[in-house]
Amino acid sequence: MQNTAIASPIHFEEVFSTKKGSIYQSDSENCWYIDFAGKLARFDYRNLLKLKKAVYNIDIENILLTSDKSADVEIIFICACDHCYVLSLLQIIALKELLQGTFVMLDLNHIIQDRLFRLVV
Amino acid sequence: MKDIIRVKSLLSTDVETLLNQQIKKEALSSSIYLSMASWCGRNGYDFSSDYFFKQAEEERVHQLKFYKYVLDMGGMAISPEVTNIKLEYNSFREVFEEALDQEISVTQSIKNIAARCHKEQDYVTLEFLNWFFKEQREEEYKARRALELFDVIGEEGTGRWQIDKNVGQIVYTEG
Repeated sequence: MQNTAIASPIHFEEVFSTKKGSIYQSDSENCWYIDFAGKLARFDYRNLLKLKKAVYNIDIENILLTSDKSADVEIIFICACDHCYVLSLLQIIALKELLQGTFVMLDLNHIIQDRLFRLVV
Repeated sequence: MKDIIRVKSLLSTDVETLLNQQIKKEALSSSIYLSMASWCGRNGYDFSSDYFFKQAEEERVHQLKFYKYVLDMGGMAISPEVTNIKLEYNSFREVFEEALDQEISVTQSIKNIAARCHKEQDYVTLEFLNWFFKEQREEEYKARRALELFDVIGEEGTGRWQIDKNVGQIVYTEG
């Protein structure tokens, strides 16, 4: 008999996107895919929060104002995560904007779920 | 779209951060009390030393209660780093003054978490905090009563010896 099993395609839903990148959510895998800096990387709940913390903790103002000759490159490495980003200052600003937008949308989704769906009997 | 973050954790990021700060504060309190126990022991106030040992243990229990709550609710509990613990005090009275200050600051910080919970309508955490509010009643009473002994008994003559003997007997009974 012919094997007809086909792996079901992963369904993505866009959470937020800017000109520089996008973040998608996969409900079936309970994770997010970040399309940024030329690659698509998978982040689960813990790692997404760790990424957010790592990016938010970068003192962008300080890097802008510093006059030493070191390169404006930040390495974002997250423990127990397969991905690592090596980003220039402009990319960091773009990633931060992308993450901020994403978390606003996730919060909004949370409010909608709470107010509309979870209260319905 | 699924609300994955809510599925994973009951706590909002802000409340989780505040609870982790509280874990650190309780750990700090415990270490400060331990340091006070050492100072009292070194200076001949054995009963007070025992009293502070007990207090240090209580603060540790509080820390673990917060720690476990954060973990159980799906958050990330952070084991805190505690540094800069004072070793020396200028007087016997100063030790108790600082102990009361410490308790007041713990109460204030729990109130701050509760205020945030009210704002977010996080009644689950609020209910968890109620136990601590009741506990702070006792903690503040004990610290305030110990300090009162300095005024009631007086430090002259064998006063400090008397105070030391009475510190271990302070109990709070709810009216």
